[in-house]
Amino acid sequence: MGQNPVVEFQQVQLQINQQQILAGLNFTIQPGQFVALLGPNGAGKTSLLRLLQKEYQPSSGQILLQGKAIQTFTQSELAAKVALVSQLSGPLFDLTVADVVLMGLIPHKALWQTNTEQDLQQLKHSLELVGLANKERYSFAHLSGGEQQRVLLARAIMQKPLLLLLDEPTNHLDLYYQHQVLRIAKALTITVIASIHDLNLASRYCDRLLLLNQGQVVADGNAQQVLTQDLLTQVFRIPCLIDQNPFGNCPRVSFGYKDDL
Amino acid sequence: MSKVLLAALPVSLRFGLAILVLLLICIQALSTGSIPIAVSALFGLTELDEMQSTVLWQLRFPRLLLALLAGSGLALCGALLQNASRNPLADPYLFGIVSGAALGATISTIVLPEWQLLTPLFAFFGALLAVFLVLVIGASSRWQRLESLLLCGVAVSFMLSAITTTLLYLSEPFAANRVMFWLMGSLSQASLTHVALISPLVFVTLMLGLLYRRQLDALVLNDESARSLGVQVQPLRLVILLLCAAVSAAIVACCGGIAFVGLMIPHLVRSLFGLSSVALLLGSVWLGAVFLASVDTLSRSLLPDQELPIGVVTSAIGSLFFLSMLFKYRRG
Repeated sequence: MGQNPVVEFQQVQLQINQQQILAGLNFTIQPGQFVALLGPNGAGKTSLLRLLQKEYQPSSGQILLQGKAIQTFTQSELAAKVALVSQLSGPLFDLTVADVVLMGLIPHKALWQTNTEQDLQQLKHSLELVGLANKERYSFAHLSGGEQQRVLLARAIMQKPLLLLLDEPTNHLDLYYQHQVLRIAKALTITVIASIHDLNLASRYCDRLLLLNQGQVVADGNAQQVLTQDLLTQVFRIPCLIDQNPFGNCPRVSFGYKDDL
Repeated sequence: MSKVLLAALPVSLRFGLAILVLLLICIQALSTGSIPIAVSALFGLTELDEMQSTVLWQLRFPRLLLALLAGSGLALCGALLQNASRNPLADPYLFGIVSGAALGATISTIVLPEWQLLTPLFAFFGALLAVFLVLVIGASSRWQRLESLLLCGVAVSFMLSAITTTLLYLSEPFAANRVMFWLMGSLSQASLTHVALISPLVFVTLMLGLLYRRQLDALVLNDESARSLGVQVQPLRLVILLLCAAVSAAIVACCGGIAFVGLMIPHLVRSLFGLSSVALLLGSVWLGAVFLASVDTLSRSLLPDQELPIGVVTSAIGSLFFLSMLFKYRRG
C-alpha cells in the first residue's frame, strides 16, 4: 500500500512511418510484479519494451519511471535503473563469462574506475544466483544457449536494476532451460516485464499478464482472468481449451488448429 | 594452448617478458644494416666512429621509433575497428584511407610535380578526404547501420582507386613508378618529425580505447545490448572511426601503404591474450610494434645492398598467416 508504481503508461501511442503500433496504453506496474506481455506476432510486445528503453519515443502520452518522465533520463541513468536481457545471435568474437557479466557495471562506473574486490565478489554472487558458479573464465561463445541466457541474466543482476526487461527470453531454449530462466528471474524479486510467446510459461511464473492485440491491451490481470477460452481464440485466431496445470495452481492452455473443434 | 600458458604466468612476468622481447627487437634493429653496429656500442661500452654515430642517431633511431609507432598505431586501429564494427575483416584501410592517400600522393607527384616534397601532406589530406566521403555518403544512407558504412568504405575506396589509376595511366612512366614505390611502403624517409606527428595520435587513441574498455566490450555483443547498458553506440563508433582515420592517415602519409598489420595483429593477439578490450588494445600495441620493427629489419637485410618495400614483406607474411588460419580452422 502506498507504494509508487515502478512504471506508468499514460495514454501512450506509438506510430512508426504513419503506422499505428501501440494505441492508448494506460496501465501501471507495481514494485516486485512479474508481468508477462502476451500476444500474437505484431501485437506490439517488443515495441512496448523498446519504449521502456527509449529506443522509441511515444507519439503521444507519456511513460513514467518511478514517477519521472522516461524522456528526462539520460541513457546512462536509464541503464542504471532498467536492464535488458534479449536474444543474442552468436557473438563473432569470444569473451569470457566474467567479461560479459562485468559489463553490468557500465552504468555505475566512471570511465577511469577499475573493478574493486567488491565488484568481483558481486560477479561471483551473480553467477551463483544463475547457477553458473566458478565459470568466470569460461568462453561465452562456447556456452549453450541456456547458459548464455543465464550469463546475460547475471549481467542484468550486476546492473542492479529497478526494472528487468526480458525480450522473449525462452526462445530457442529447450524445455528445461525455459523453466530455469524464468524461475531465476522470478527468484530475483524485482520488477520484471517479460515478452513471452508460451502462454503456459507465463501462466506458471508471472503474477500478471498483459494480453496485447493490434497495439492495444485487450486483457490485464492474473492468469485466471486473462487466459480464457473465448479471448485467446479471438486473439490468436485458433481454437483453444483451458484446464488446470497439474504442476501448479494455474490455467493450462492447449491450442488446436482451425478444424480441431 | 599458448593462451592458457600465458594466462598461467603472473601479470608482472608477462609485462617483463613483453618488455624484454621489445628490447631485443630494438637492439637487433639498431645494430643490423649495411654498416653494422656492435651491441656493446649501443650500450656505450665501446666507441662509435663518426659514420656509425650518424647512421645510428640520424637514420636507424628515428626509423626504429617510426616502425614501433606505425606498427602500434595500425594494430591499435585494427583492433578498435574490428571490435567497434563487429567485423573481423575490418582494418584501418577498409574506409578508403589508403586509396585516398594514394590519390593525394599521385596528385602531388604527377599533377603538381612542383609540390612533390609535400607528398606526405597530400597523402594525409587524401586519406582524410576518403573518410569524409565515407561519412557524408554514409550519412545520407542511414550510416548508423554498420553494413552501410562498410559498403560506403568499399565504394569510396574503388572510386578513388579508379581516379588514381587513370592519372597514373595518363602520366609519364617515371612519375608513375615513384607513386607505385611510395605505395609499397617504406620507412626509409623516417624522421623525428614523423615520430612527433604520429605519437600523440597513437597515444590519445590508446588512452581513449582504454578508458572506454567496458563500452568497447559491450559493442562486441550487439548494439541493442550495448545501448541497454547506457553505451552511446553511434557517437562512440563515430569517435573511434575518426581517431582511427587520423592515425592511419598520418601513418600512411609518413610510411606509404603497409598492409595487413591492422588486420593480422589483432587476430594474433586474440589467440594469445583473449578478447577483453584491455588485453586486446595493449597486446595489439605491443605486438604491432614488435612485428613492424622486426619486419623492417628483415626488409633491410634480406637483399644485399638494397631494401625490400616493407609493405611487400607485411603482405607476404599476412597472406601466409591467413592461409595458416584457414587450414587451422579446417583441421579444427
